[in-house]
Amino acid sequence: MISRQLTFRLLAFAALVAVIGLVFWSQSSAFASTGNLRSLMRHMSVQGLAALGLTFVIVVRHFDLSFPGIASMGAMTLGWLIASGLPLPVAIGGGLAVGLIFGLVNGIVVARLGLPDIVTTIATGGLAIGFSYFYSNGTSISQNFFMSGILDLNDRKIAGLDMPFAILMGAAALGAVLLHASRLGAGLYATGQNRTSAHFAGIPTRRLIVLAFALSGIGACLAITLLIASSGAANVTAGNQLLMPAFAAVYLGAALFGRPSIGATLAGTLLMSMMLNGFTLLAIPYYYSDAIVSTVLITAIAIFDPRVSGLLRRAGRRTGAAT
Amino acid sequence: MTDMTHTQVRVRRGPPRGDVLMRYAFFLLVLVVFVTFATLRPAFITPGNIHGMLMSASIAALMFLGLTWLIAAGEIDVSFMSVAALSNMVVAGLVFKGAGWGLAALGGLGAGVVFGLLNATLVAVLRLPALVITIATGALAASIAAAIGLGTSIALNNTGFVGDILDLRVGVVPLIALIVGALYAASWVVQERLTFGHYIYAMEQNRNAVVEAGVPVNRMLFLLFVLSGTVSSLAGVLLAANLSSGQPYLGTSYFLDGLTAVLLGGMALKVGKPNVIGTLTAVIFLIGLLNGAALLGWTDSQRQIVRGSLLLIGVGLVVFARTRRKA
Repeated sequence: MISRQLTFRLLAFAALVAVIGLVFWSQSSAFASTGNLRSLMRHMSVQGLAALGLTFVIVVRHFDLSFPGIASMGAMTLGWLIASGLPLPVAIGGGLAVGLIFGLVNGIVVARLGLPDIVTTIATGGLAIGFSYFYSNGTSISQNFFMSGILDLNDRKIAGLDMPFAILMGAAALGAVLLHASRLGAGLYATGQNRTSAHFAGIPTRRLIVLAFALSGIGACLAITLLIASSGAANVTAGNQLLMPAFAAVYLGAALFGRPSIGATLAGTLLMSMMLNGFTLLAIPYYYSDAIVSTVLITAIAIFDPRVSGLLRRAGRRTGAAT
Repeated sequence: MTDMTHTQVRVRRGPPRGDVLMRYAFFLLVLVVFVTFATLRPAFITPGNIHGMLMSASIAALMFLGLTWLIAAGEIDVSFMSVAALSNMVVAGLVFKGAGWGLAALGGLGAGVVFGLLNATLVAVLRLPALVITIATGALAASIAAAIGLGTSIALNNTGFVGDILDLRVGVVPLIALIVGALYAASWVVQERLTFGHYIYAMEQNRNAVVEAGVPVNRMLFLLFVLSGTVSSLAGVLLAANLSSGQPYLGTSYFLDGLTAVLLGGMALKVGKPNVIGTLTAVIFLIGLLNGAALLGWTDSQRQIVRGSLLLIGVGLVVFARTRRKA
């Protein structure tokens, strides 16, 4: 029964991918070219890493609105460290550390001190953006980037896959083990279902919530590292473009597959990246594609919500009975 | 029944001593900060500066009125600033195309009402999660706003009757400040003295209990979202005349301020419950703080950090006050 439902959901997902792909391909045959598919996968890597991090927070039924700000802060830290001539691993480590620290702060403030997640993360995100201005007064950093080798992160290949996509796959594999094949993952889902009963079942709910926020921060900073590697400069607005696609990917995936999971998020990210890539290819201005993305998000949440889909089904049955 | 209501009122009227300090601490803080600015930079209290501050405070306060009630009712709306930006751009776009200001203002208001209805339908009727829905509708409004100006702002060469209203003043006080003040006074009566307001507070405490008590919660929530969209768009219309242009990205600067004003203001008077008087005070505080900080030569990033910290402090205080009260 469960597997039949999963088959149905997978078929629905494949149909969506096919429809979107065909629509764009019919508009521009360049959509299916190798070059474009590779740039689609690069785009998906950046969005996917941010969305994967967010998935953990959504699984424990919390919200994180700070990751775009944290990502900007991580981007500037990374840029500043490279510009001051430090070796690349240290610089990347520094950028990820920012994500970890802010994530931990979010988690501790929300889980231990019991502050409301939405407003707290909006505030910490705002703080992170403010701090990110300190490195260069808001101008973008690109000194030393060519020499440091960070661009290789974008250009190199591993096992036939572009490096960014390989990183996404690696992160997704790690995330899948953590969320779907370990006690930690079961604990995360249990915490999301009912925090009180999870607590009394002996699950360290607070620690898991802190972990989820930390992973979200790290995911955002890893995503922005790849974005910097492809654009070759760090700037303070780098994270702004992460918020909507990440939320859309997680919710679209959760809507398609019934609950948030690593696979669902990857599926959602693929759909979002296909759409955004297609719109860019057709030279549709960003404000139209943003409008379409948000409409898709609203529709996805509405259609797949159990109450609404129940209503639709009942209405369908009634018309079916009438005819 | 009447007895119960009476005891409840008496309890609220007679708070413990420590609470009195909490209630009025925020007003004291505002006073201290403003006096400090005035002594450090006399330009802070010139009539022109006061007029400018009151003007921006009235528009911001108008935008945050609906948000105050939504947060007081335990819901959230993060689309308010984008709705304001949208109606701002609708007005600018219509005036630019040659429409009269009356029609343009109606169009701007209409856009706000439409988005209010959209939020209300999705959240109050279909019971979808408010945060994600308003993130999405906010993004939709923002992208439509950007699309109207094809990504840039629209400059206007006249500000029509809306501009005339904004220019009216009583001494140093702009007329619009008096109007918004009156609106806030009316809202205070509604929230603190009428049943409607009591239900708002009750919804935050225990939604199910309010439903069981026979209150049409969904209808109230519907109204609150429509109200939030309407007042936000009204602020957007005023901003079109105030800035004599349409700015598609004006929303971002109001986002943090709106939430900060509501949550920080919640500390005033009601110790942890968002209320209109608190919001009004907090808006004046924030506008004064940013203005004074600019006079002192602070950079944008420093002000951003102050905003973020204030929001965190506001939330922290609200939660602290609530847990202490429950204990």
